[in-house]
Amino acid sequence: MFGEDDIVRSHKGRLDLIGNIVVLFFLVIFARLWYLQIYSGKELYRYSIENTLRKETVNAPRGMIFSRNNQLLIHNIPRFDAVIIPQYLKNKKESIKKLGMILKMTPDEINKILIKNRGQARYRPVVIKKNISRKEVAIIETENFKMPGVMVQTFISREYSDKEIGGHLLGYISEISQAQLPKYRKRDKFNYKLGDFIGQAGLEEQMDLQLRGEDGFEFVRVDARGRVRKNIKGEDLFSEVRNMKATPGNNLRLTVDRDLQIAAYESLEGKVGSAVAVDVNSGEILAMVSRPSFDPTQFSRGLTSEYWKSLIDNENNPLRDRTIQEHYSPGSTFKTITAIAALEEGIVKKDQVIQCGPTFKLGRRRYHDWKKDGHGPTDVYKSLKRSVDVYFYKIATQLDIDVLADYARKFGLGTKTGISLPRETSGLIPDREWKKKRFGEEWQLGETLSCSIGQSYILTTPLQLAMAYAAIANGGTLYHPYLIKEIFKNDGEVIEKFSPKEVSKLNISKDTLEAIKKGLYQVVNEQKGTAWWYRGVGIRMAGKTGTSQVKSMTSKELFSKCEEMPYRDRHHGIFVGYAPAYDPKIAVAVVVEHGCHGSSAAAPVVRDVITKYMKKYYPQKYALYAEEDKKKMKQFWLDEKARKEKLKKESEEKEEVAAESTEEDT
Amino acid sequence: MRFNASGFLDIFKRYDFSFFGIAMAIFIVGILNLYSATSGSPNMANLYQTQIAYFSVAMIVGMAVSFLGPKNYYRYSYMFYFFNIFLLVVVLVMGHKGMGAQRWLVIGPIRFQPSEVMKMSAVLCLARWWSKHDTDRELGIKELIIPFGISFVPALLIILEPDLGTGLLILLIFFVMAFYRKLKWKTLMIIIAIGTISGALMYQFGLKDYQRRRILTFIDPTADARGSGYNAIQSKIAIGSGQFWGKGWTKSTQASLNYLPENHTDFVFSIFNEEHGFVGALILISLYILLFFRFLWLASSVTRLFDAIVAVGLMSIFFWHTFINMGMVMGLMPVVGLPLPLMSYGGSSLVTFGICCGIATSISNSRNLF
Repeated sequence: MFGEDDIVRSHKGRLDLIGNIVVLFFLVIFARLWYLQIYSGKELYRYSIENTLRKETVNAPRGMIFSRNNQLLIHNIPRFDAVIIPQYLKNKKESIKKLGMILKMTPDEINKILIKNRGQARYRPVVIKKNISRKEVAIIETENFKMPGVMVQTFISREYSDKEIGGHLLGYISEISQAQLPKYRKRDKFNYKLGDFIGQAGLEEQMDLQLRGEDGFEFVRVDARGRVRKNIKGEDLFSEVRNMKATPGNNLRLTVDRDLQIAAYESLEGKVGSAVAVDVNSGEILAMVSRPSFDPTQFSRGLTSEYWKSLIDNENNPLRDRTIQEHYSPGSTFKTITAIAALEEGIVKKDQVIQCGPTFKLGRRRYHDWKKDGHGPTDVYKSLKRSVDVYFYKIATQLDIDVLADYARKFGLGTKTGISLPRETSGLIPDREWKKKRFGEEWQLGETLSCSIGQSYILTTPLQLAMAYAAIANGGTLYHPYLIKEIFKNDGEVIEKFSPKEVSKLNISKDTLEAIKKGLYQVVNEQKGTAWWYRGVGIRMAGKTGTSQVKSMTSKELFSKCEEMPYRDRHHGIFVGYAPAYDPKIAVAVVVEHGCHGSSAAAPVVRDVITKYMKKYYPQKYALYAEEDKKKMKQFWLDEKARKEKLKKESEEKEEVAAESTEEDT
Repeated sequence: MRFNASGFLDIFKRYDFSFFGIAMAIFIVGILNLYSATSGSPNMANLYQTQIAYFSVAMIVGMAVSFLGPKNYYRYSYMFYFFNIFLLVVVLVMGHKGMGAQRWLVIGPIRFQPSEVMKMSAVLCLARWWSKHDTDRELGIKELIIPFGISFVPALLIILEPDLGTGLLILLIFFVMAFYRKLKWKTLMIIIAIGTISGALMYQFGLKDYQRRRILTFIDPTADARGSGYNAIQSKIAIGSGQFWGKGWTKSTQASLNYLPENHTDFVFSIFNEEHGFVGALILISLYILLFFRFLWLASSVTRLFDAIVAVGLMSIFFWHTFINMGMVMGLMPVVGLPLPLMSYGGSSLVTFGICCGIATSISNSRNLF
């Protein structure tokens, strides 16, 4: 260490310099302090007492949503809240009393709200009453000087043109909850704060980032009583502050047709269920409604506790979107898939006739047909037309469940369709592996029998059924269902355009599809078809009825009248159809919970939606078909009359004809 | 050093309490100020108790450090340095994200910022290098290459976190230490000229408006850079409204209204000024200057170059924090989010400054050992 001492000493000069520089730097600090505290101290003191800046968020207008025909489905309307800013509140008791009188609230109620919000900064407004009337606004504004700290705050309310109609599809917005805050911050990398509105269901949730835009802010100069003062440009201290404009959210144009929405919703009046309509040649969703529904506007205005209670207390759960969040046994609508599998695998030929009695015996168990007397000789057309259970039991004995499951999956059943809506359920297509995993048991042949007629473990959503039947209708292309045609800015600039997307080609022979389509045509358009009585006029509908058993039944229960069972035990009614039968444009799936029959409960809804569609988009075709249908029916009634007279003569039994007309499948 | 009772008493007699003494004085002012700054908001009312707990930890760690001899710092300085660099890389790769930046490392119950400790590691590492190299000459560009690398690598890693404030701080500390180690005046001028001109040109012409705003956000993601001006103006009003004598303790109007969003961390000085005025600031700043000079006196009284350079380096850590924080609060500089030593709320920075005092005390104690 020799000599290091000297080296250190040789640095003394630099050390002194550093000392001087330190002092110099702090002289600058002192000079600045002198300038602020002594030179402009008085003025700044005045500012601190009299003037303050208030940072106000400028909410970005949320994007609007339009129907496929450019009708406005969701728009924004300014509304008003009464607020108190605690910082400015003077003679608290009196102001609160006065405000209470205007808003028809007791001072206690107002105090309670203030106490609840005590934790937040005192310059932040506390909302006392939401969505006040114009009259209340006027009174508060004029009385404002008597109650410093009481103010009216404008906010933009989101209004849904058709209220309950399509509530599930559009969704709703509401304030972000404490629990969602960290999750959403992480997900969107966006610093949400309490009080921010976010989409909580439906498209509002799914497309939130597109719709929400970016909030701006502006600084307003307010006096000690919280009243806004005009900013004198460039003349005072606050002129340095910069404001930020809000960027409006993007708008959506949907594939959905407003008139079809209304038609479907009204047709479901008094029922619990849902309807999905799709364009068979593109996968565009034309209508999607679920009942009971809710009014999304209520959420954005600030939900009243009564309304919330009415939603929660309703045992039919109005918040649930039955088109995609609920799955049901497809019942006989699944027979179409079974028939396709059987034809394709060569288990039956399309014209092959099978004898179908009232039951089918497998081992010691008897499987009943829905019709007590059985159907007699049946080919594939009749099997669909009359929904012959025993026909499918017989097929099922030769059809491996794994093969059947493969066919079902081909049609998109058992997997999420990937529609741009939240919380879609996948449904279920069982196979050997699934059962082993789920129950640790081997698959039983009897279960294949149940599956072949769409009961047992099979579960599908109405949307899946609509897409599957659309694929049959269009000749074998499974489309991806989509809801949004384009996303565009306020100035009209299109940001993103969506076009049809094929999920897959089904690779099912033309021959098979033709046979199936013929069968589905007969279901509706031939006498004794299960949906004959709900065929409508001018639409040429084809389709399949189905009933979804809610619980397993004894054979006695099976033949008891559904309408006489307790409501919760009644079957769900399902109908999936498309039209026109030989030039398909639209496919519709409807499920009516506890509606007992696919024909009487669900088919009329499908018929109504398709009728609306044909009238609106193909009026000439509709007129032509209607004319033909009228002629056909005229002939039918003539024949019927002749037949009845003949019967009358031949036999004394009178009830039979009438009985036939009310026959349903199981 | 053998350990026995009389030896212990010896150490106690020789123990230099001046660093911890001044630090304690500033801290007491700080805790009173923090109490006042947070008493207005109910959810922060207990913050001052936490701060006292942090300070106790900082004192214990600092005292412990003060009993390690300076030779140990010398011996392990490179190891510390490289280990710390390693930690910075770890933070970048898998650190805990807080408020938009990746600064924290979480090990069990302990959360700490390697960038805080890096300031001291860099000081020790640079001191070791300079105490062994080029001791006989003034420093030109050529001699600066390696020391600059030593400070630039961690600075860059910290800037990437992103924490531009702390990153640049390390470069400033390097600058002061280089100056002490006889940086040539010519070289100094060249560095200053190049730095200023290129910086100004870049900012003025090379960037678009939104990029400039982005840089401000980049400097401190926690500050509301989009509303640039708001914090600064409120802070200026707070300071100015204190006038000569101040409004009095706990009488701040700006702070209790929560105008200053960070009034318990980065903006404590503006509340202090509002309540205690020009006179109060004079006293507080005097305390800080006393502390700086205590470090400089230490540097002039030691016999080993390493010790002297370390003392200057530690001084510069304190100095830059203090100066930049005060400058930013008064609107002399952009808001970069550096704490005011011993005054701002926060455990990490308190412990850092405690360790700084500990190292200085240890050096001071060892002077009489020969």
